[in-house]
Amino acid sequence: MSRQLTFKIFRYDPLQPEIKPYTQEYQLEEASGMTVFIALNLIREKQDPSLQFDFVCRAGICGSCAMVINGVPTLACRTLTKQYEDGIVTLLPLPGFGLIGDLSVDTGKFMRSISERLQAWLEPKDHEVDIHSLEIPMESEEAEAIYEADRCIECGCCVSSCATAQMRDTFVGAVGFNKVARFALDSRDSREVEDFYHIIGDEDGVFGCMTLLGCQDNCPKDLNHQGQIAYLRRKISMSDRII
Amino acid sequence: MQRIKLRQAGWLDRWQSLSGAILAGFLFIHLHLESSILLGKDAFYKVARMLEAGFLDPSGHGYPSVIVVFGLGLFAVLMVHAIAAIRRFPTKYKQWKILKEFSKTVPQRETNLWQLQLVSGFVLFFLVPVHLLGIVMNPGSIDPNLSAFRIVEQGFGFLYMALLPVAVIHALIGVYRLAMKWFGDKLPREKIFKGATVVTCWLILLGTTSLIVWYYTGITSLPTPLTPYSPL
Repeated sequence: MSRQLTFKIFRYDPLQPEIKPYTQEYQLEEASGMTVFIALNLIREKQDPSLQFDFVCRAGICGSCAMVINGVPTLACRTLTKQYEDGIVTLLPLPGFGLIGDLSVDTGKFMRSISERLQAWLEPKDHEVDIHSLEIPMESEEAEAIYEADRCIECGCCVSSCATAQMRDTFVGAVGFNKVARFALDSRDSREVEDFYHIIGDEDGVFGCMTLLGCQDNCPKDLNHQGQIAYLRRKISMSDRII
Repeated sequence: MQRIKLRQAGWLDRWQSLSGAILAGFLFIHLHLESSILLGKDAFYKVARMLEAGFLDPSGHGYPSVIVVFGLGLFAVLMVHAIAAIRRFPTKYKQWKILKEFSKTVPQRETNLWQLQLVSGFVLFFLVPVHLLGIVMNPGSIDPNLSAFRIVEQGFGFLYMALLPVAVIHALIGVYRLAMKWFGDKLPREKIFKGATVVTCWLILLGTTSLIVWYYTGITSLPTPLTPYSPL
């Protein structure tokens, strides 16, 4: 006989503002290897079709199912229910993003605006591309470093784990620093390191980071945000432009 | 305009870090020197003479003005630290509300530590100048008898009781955060945290023991009338 799980889920629909936010409880029998994502689908399928939450890939790649699970912003599809000894799972939507309803938030709007603000795209050195020419090979170390930064799935857990980002919505946050680092590493990009640093060398950038390390603790992809931000801060401090 | 903004942000961050590191280093040395009272009045007297550059004075007594100059320098560093750090304080009521709510929904060690630093920093802003200016404005008062008198009879012991834990906790959290802030890619986080915790406990133990001895000294062995200590 499997144990009973209790899910305490934040409920609020911005389209029905007359109903105040509340916590709804659901009971569910635990199954072997059950994730919070599986449990939510079962609840929605068998108990409450009105429950709103996001998912796409179910494999920790798309970042859609990020939510606060027992106080930790993380991915529902990668969170096993068996780790909660008391069988109680409290679910909240990610703070810091626009609420769509219940556990569903709009991370896309934030990510898009950060990308545009940081110009997080490749600016090729040569705009005239000859498709018949051989591609210039990239050093494997460089490719690996870019790949490492590219592992970010933009789930928003770093932003939701960061008190600085919560208090100051202009703060770039770890996901933004990671974007800058990714293109600064890329030898195909025409921009100089100083160009990238110019974007994040202020109070909304690296000098606004208070090293609260929520990004480091809660990144579902285990990206080294702590190291990356410290490195960026040192580099930008040593740059000739900023004494 | 953007360049100025950039420069200011970088400067403030570095000055905050540097001044904090200097103050934390000073606190560490200060508490160890001050604890020389544990070895007796004579040991403390020798330390006081050394700090007042007694080795340069033919009479061996030293120059209390050295402490005054050093104290004023320290006060300047304190001001730099306070001015640079104050920009970290949430300035709007909404930010405090978000912070409170966030700490409940997403509890996290470093956020709690930072909040502890916010509170302790605010307290220190008022307590440290009282202590520092008290020393600067009374040159020559670092003495086994005069210090014991100040602590026991003039009530400065209460100030030190409050200052000790607040200053030590603020400083050591600061040192840990500083290490992660600038060298998070090079230093082991948990080892630094454990090290900072051990040093915090050590300094509070050392300071508390010294304070108990100061009280004992002040109650049991103050000369009447009060005169500076002179070694036998």
